[in-house]
Amino acid sequence: MAAPIRVLTAVPICDGHDSAINTINLEFIRHGIEVVYLGYHRYATDMVRAAIQEDVKALGISSYNGGHVEFFSEVARLLKKQGADYIKVFGGGGGTITGNDDVIMRRNGIDKIFFAGTSLEDMVDYVHKHYSGPHKPFRGRKASADMQLARKLTEIEDSYAGRKLRPKKRSAKSKKKTGKTRVFGFTGPGGAGKTTLIDELILRLLHREPKSRIAILSHDPSVVGAGALLGDRATMINSQNERVFMRSMATRGQAGGLSPATEDCLTLLAESGFDYVIIETVGTGQEAMPFQTGLVHKTVLVMNPDYGSRLQLQKIVMLDLADIVVVNKSDQERARTASSEIGRRLDQNKRSQILISTVANRHRDAGVDELCDLLTEQNV
Amino acid sequence: MSKLGQVVEAVESYNEFVLKEVKRARTDEVFGQQMVDRWNDVKAKTPIGTAPTGLKLPRLALPEIDEAGEITRYLLGEGLPGEFPFTSGAYREMYLEPLRELEAGSYGKDGRNGKNGHSKNGKNGAKAAAPKPAEVEEPTRLFSGLGLAEDTNARFHFLTGHQRSARLSTAFDGPTLYGIDSDAEGVFGKIGEGGLAIDTYEDMVRLYDGFDMGSPAFSASMTISGPAPIIMAMYIAAAKKRFGPKVVPNLRGTIQADIFKEVQAQNETIFPTEASLRFLCDMIEWTTREMPRWYPVSISGYHIGEAGSTPVQQAAYTVSNGFAYAEMLAARGIPVDQFGPRLSFFLDCGLDVEYIALARVSRRIWAIGMRDVFGAGPKAQMFKLHTQTSGRSLVAAEFKNNLTRTAAELMLAYMNGTNSCHSNSADEPFTTPSEEWIRLAAHGQAILLDESGIFKHTMNMLSGSPGMKAVERAVEAAMLEEFRQIEAFGGVLPAIEHRYQRSQIQNAAHRYEQQIYDGTRPIIALTKYNDLKDEMPEVKMVRTPRAKKQLQVDRLAKFKKRNAEKAKRALDKLSDVVERGENCFPTLIEVVEVCSLGQITGRLQEVVGHFRPMV
Repeated sequence: MAAPIRVLTAVPICDGHDSAINTINLEFIRHGIEVVYLGYHRYATDMVRAAIQEDVKALGISSYNGGHVEFFSEVARLLKKQGADYIKVFGGGGGTITGNDDVIMRRNGIDKIFFAGTSLEDMVDYVHKHYSGPHKPFRGRKASADMQLARKLTEIEDSYAGRKLRPKKRSAKSKKKTGKTRVFGFTGPGGAGKTTLIDELILRLLHREPKSRIAILSHDPSVVGAGALLGDRATMINSQNERVFMRSMATRGQAGGLSPATEDCLTLLAESGFDYVIIETVGTGQEAMPFQTGLVHKTVLVMNPDYGSRLQLQKIVMLDLADIVVVNKSDQERARTASSEIGRRLDQNKRSQILISTVANRHRDAGVDELCDLLTEQNV
Repeated sequence: MSKLGQVVEAVESYNEFVLKEVKRARTDEVFGQQMVDRWNDVKAKTPIGTAPTGLKLPRLALPEIDEAGEITRYLLGEGLPGEFPFTSGAYREMYLEPLRELEAGSYGKDGRNGKNGHSKNGKNGAKAAAPKPAEVEEPTRLFSGLGLAEDTNARFHFLTGHQRSARLSTAFDGPTLYGIDSDAEGVFGKIGEGGLAIDTYEDMVRLYDGFDMGSPAFSASMTISGPAPIIMAMYIAAAKKRFGPKVVPNLRGTIQADIFKEVQAQNETIFPTEASLRFLCDMIEWTTREMPRWYPVSISGYHIGEAGSTPVQQAAYTVSNGFAYAEMLAARGIPVDQFGPRLSFFLDCGLDVEYIALARVSRRIWAIGMRDVFGAGPKAQMFKLHTQTSGRSLVAAEFKNNLTRTAAELMLAYMNGTNSCHSNSADEPFTTPSEEWIRLAAHGQAILLDESGIFKHTMNMLSGSPGMKAVERAVEAAMLEEFRQIEAFGGVLPAIEHRYQRSQIQNAAHRYEQQIYDGTRPIIALTKYNDLKDEMPEVKMVRTPRAKKQLQVDRLAKFKKRNAEKAKRALDKLSDVVERGENCFPTLIEVVEVCSLGQITGRLQEVVGHFRPMV
């Protein structure tokens, strides 16, 4: 089976009209396309960086409140400037984009504009017809480090697409030296706030270490041969940064929170000279134990105070394995109880596991500061 | 239980109360006779007007009933216009031609009885709701904004030149809506597109130049939410500069400022929700005290509807958001009868059948909830509504059909007793309206209200048909069910955090699009009778030329240079006030005199953080 087509979609800066793109995303996903969604109110530079890092076949832009000729053209110009015009730009804006605009935009390097009244079916057909097939090699020019890394990740991911799911082999590669790179694994149930917590952590890391470079490997669920919405980028506001390399992956049928290709991708990232690599699983169930590789230095389990009864805690395997357990949303009523129940559960393990409380969506939260200290302190 | 859960119970218990009273009117002869007497009294005091043809008509139409139970069901369940529970209208008379002297009867002297409701605390329901007839002003509002402040100013003069009153409705461009300055990186193309650019209060002075901002015949509405408190402060600063500080209590108008719908649907918010709500409440607290004629929040379903919700979702989320604001403001210690009358609402009106009664049901639920849950007096029970015809319903294919779509929607909006209305231009799918089409949009309302006799002779002209009542009952049940869903999360804010409203809206939007292409929703000239297959139509596009965009950037640079020193001190003061948790609105009014929108937003974001988008 061929690897799914990956596209990136987004809405331009100063534009919050996401109704059309949400509907189109859903339709793409229903038809087997993996959609990395960058969200609304996004700069051209952010779109271009994301498209390159995600190594998508095409970048779809939905614009509604004007200025589209300038905006689309700027995106195409930036892609070309970086030698990344192998990524095609398509989009639409209902009736706001005229035939004349289309002529100018195509001259400026835009591949396709869907006019008002185009059916969802026609859009899906176009994407399947024009953006499928293997990636073309970079042309002549020297590809940037991001481009090369992104392409290698694609090759790894696609190499798994044609095969039956293999049992995970303990890769000899994982013993390779990863130098100064520190790898953190974040897992936990859906809705615990993992993505927000990571984004707040990134903000602090970028600020504390002004030269550091960070990679994020983020996962969203999908089944074999189907599409997926890879939406973590849309809610990450601090990670839209030149010093952050982010890659979104669909699990493509594998249970447990990661993709079949994760380990190899993680190995590559760990060897690529980043200061930190952060890996985020999908929202996991009680039995999940995703980080079995020796590559992850610290594992963080992010919990929601609302996990149900105390008995449920006994069943959560990661509570035995995690180095750090975070009770996020600790401003909720139940948080105090949750912390003490989880604390007692961890005491049973008699390991030096650390429990902290955070409110990731609170500005300058002291709990997130503490997590950042814990993760960056030396000799741990 | 949150207040919303209590509202559900209050509406259910009111409905039971009505049924009990109907029964009582049929069994208790004295009570029955009282209701019949009251009915006869209302009818006798209704003045008679004359149509141009000479036909005599009562100013208020009532159902042809004479049995005590049915009279009770009508008076309590639906209510007269301007009376609890306000189903058919917030005011006794709307849209009607002034009565000529000779015909004026006794109506209005003691025509209000108002003993029409039950009340848990027995206090408010017994008071007569005796609002004055709505001032004689046109309900037409045309949303405008293009290019720079002076361009929009010219459009305002063009639109209101022939009206008795100037009721201006202002649209802002993308950078302004996101609190970003025109000189910010990457936004040049967006300056003055889809609305006008405001960077400083000096732009605000240009925007309303030539209008008497303190006059009762002038009001402005501003469609902006994320940075609304800053824009409101600029409006006040501009008015003070032109007319002196005494103008402030006389300012009339509306600022949208609705954070909930931004987070649920429209996505134009710039601070974390909690901080946005705090700045909003700061503004409401100040304006309801200092500017008693201003509406500091317009609780809006329009954008929820345009984002693809069903009509029931739109009304349910809007009204529940309204109750959530009321809960927050009451928790601040502001008396409900101070803030309640200053809350106003804004709904979309499309072509779905629910729109036959959507606003009627919303008015009724609001009145019952405000009276019985919040203990509000009559003025705070009135759901004051602005309606806009649906932009989403308009299509590019054979776009002149949009005139018909908008006309049908206008009819529905006025049948629902909207207090003001915007009619979309037929060229809306393509562009900020050009003068040709905006003129026709305005004329559409004038034809309906001035030229036709449908609305100008008789209140209740089209209210209460069996079909309308059937829709009303179904919509009310569905709205209450939505309230229960939201209540299951613990109220509006927790439901927002769980993305409940967002995901419901997105699913509805997806279904809507699918229905267009599977034939469930025929769209004329697009999926049905689309034999013409026309090319892209020739539409005059309204765009802002480069030179104008540059002018805005240059003006802003001069402002910043001139105020550089003062700006720094002002921003530091603002930070302090915000950090201390004080009401920051009075400080904002000072700060805008020396700082640009982007400078203020940037500083506030440093203090309270950025909004984290929801998908």
